[in-house]
Amino acid sequence: MKLDPSFIWTALIQLLSAIPTTLVITAVSVTIGFIIGLITALLRIYKIPVLSQIAAGYVTFIRGTPMLTHLLLIYFGLPMLVDALSAQFGWSIKSSSIPMIGFAFISFSITAGAYMAEVIRSGLLAVNRGQLEAAYSVGMTTPQALRRIVFPQALAVSLPNLSNSVIGMLHGSTLVFTVSVVDINAKAQIVASTNWKFFEAYLAAAVIFWGLTLLIERITAVIEKRINLYNRGGVA
Amino acid sequence: MIQLTNITKSFGRHQVLNKIDLTVQKGEVVVILGPSGSGKTTLLRCVNYLEKPNDGEILIGDYRLNCKHASKKDIYQLRQKSAMVFQQYNLFKHKTALENVMEGLVVVKKLSKEEAKTRSIALLEKVGLGSKLDAYPSQLSGGQQQRVGIARALALEPEVILFDEPTSALDPELVGEVLAVIRKIAKEGITMIVVTHEMGFARDVANHVVFMDGGVIVEEGTPVELFNNPQEERTKQFLKRITPELNYSI
Ligand SMILES: Nc1ncnc2c1ncn2[C@@H]1O[C@H](COP(=O)(O)OP(=O)(O)OP(=O)(O)O)[C@@H](O)[C@H]1O
Ligand SMILES: [Mg+2]
Repeated sequence: MKLDPSFIWTALIQLLSAIPTTLVITAVSVTIGFIIGLITALLRIYKIPVLSQIAAGYVTFIRGTPMLTHLLLIYFGLPMLVDALSAQFGWSIKSSSIPMIGFAFISFSITAGAYMAEVIRSGLLAVNRGQLEAAYSVGMTTPQALRRIVFPQALAVSLPNLSNSVIGMLHGSTLVFTVSVVDINAKAQIVASTNWKFFEAYLAAAVIFWGLTLLIERITAVIEKRINLYNRGGVA
Repeated sequence: MIQLTNITKSFGRHQVLNKIDLTVQKGEVVVILGPSGSGKTTLLRCVNYLEKPNDGEILIGDYRLNCKHASKKDIYQLRQKSAMVFQQYNLFKHKTALENVMEGLVVVKKLSKEEAKTRSIALLEKVGLGSKLDAYPSQLSGGQQQRVGIARALALEPEVILFDEPTSALDPELVGEVLAVIRKIAKEGITMIVVTHEMGFARDVANHVVFMDGGVIVEEGTPVELFNNPQEERTKQFLKRITPELNYSI
């Protein structure tokens, strides 16, 4: 078999239609993951009894198991749970009514949450305790101090790692083909299945992923420049 | 008036403050002296409730708080009555000098942005930083940062400003500018409690000097009383160590 350069282009065009699916899965899992991660990080930093142990367990379990496994566990486990609960409480929800992409949203959010929890936690720990004390000293409440003083600084510190998490989730989203969701990668397989030009199709997918990754890196750089304005004294 | 009664604080089994009683009249400048580890910082932090006393009562202005049963709300109330100037400045790193001073006014005192800004600019001018409004802390010298810290504390118009060794992290040539600002606001009748090792400053700015050691107040009095005629052996020892020039200059 010979390389067919023109088919790379053809495939590329056809793959464009799958970009929104990939982006939506990434965006949803990163957004919900960020919220889960923030809560998890705060539970651990404030050592809330019981909940902080649960949070720590969640983080080690998720980070200690593959993302594909999470997806499969949710895919096979969630319907059992939903059906059991429906039967118990007489709800009308059926597991079969959960859209396939819903499994991806839920499981990837759980995955992203555990990774982001660690990123956010280290960002929060990097903020000098004196910042919080100064906020208290001017009379702020804890939520005010966190929101106005600690979070912005923690976010600035965490940004490079958060950006890596986003890229990780973008690439990881390719696993959705296992639950029959058609993302860029799955689309490449479909495109190639008629003429067996898998290499060309996957090469086109790679080009798209690369482009999206570069885009995320560019956006990160822009945000970094804006929020790190105050950090003139850094090493860089 | 500020009145501390029976303030007691331990870290684990280490008792750092042992039943401290201290009264500061309105407009008074009280200087606290004492060897390292004597509990000076801890005492100031208790007044600002950055450290929770195990026992005792804090009265600031018209607000009284019993440390044994203080709710979150009580603590927020009490904190608004005092402001701290930190040894390490602790300016909000991600905010400009102006924003640092405005922050408490907008978020806590709920002033409008414009009003907070006008007031903050006036205060920064007062501490000699009218030309540094938009500088971030990382762009300011230690002395300048500390002056912003003082403006930030002043802005809140607290009953008392607490200074914890405000010049000890500074290069010697920057100490003067910060002390000059503190002197200036002392003259305006702002109530202050100052922990410092600057004896010259203590002598001519303080109305009242307190010597602490081992978590208790060993001796207190006017600067003249305490510096020229200390009664307690521990005070004499300390003063001898910290002002060796006294041995031969008089
Ligand atoms: N968070 C803490 N945990 C445990 N011990 C502490 C803590 N903060 C202070 N201490 C201890 O309390 C004692 C008094 O400390 P403090 O900082 O109040 O002393 P200080 O008089 O301000 O000393 P210095 O002149 O060195 O600043 C010290 O023995 C110190 O080790
Ligand atoms: Mg100290």
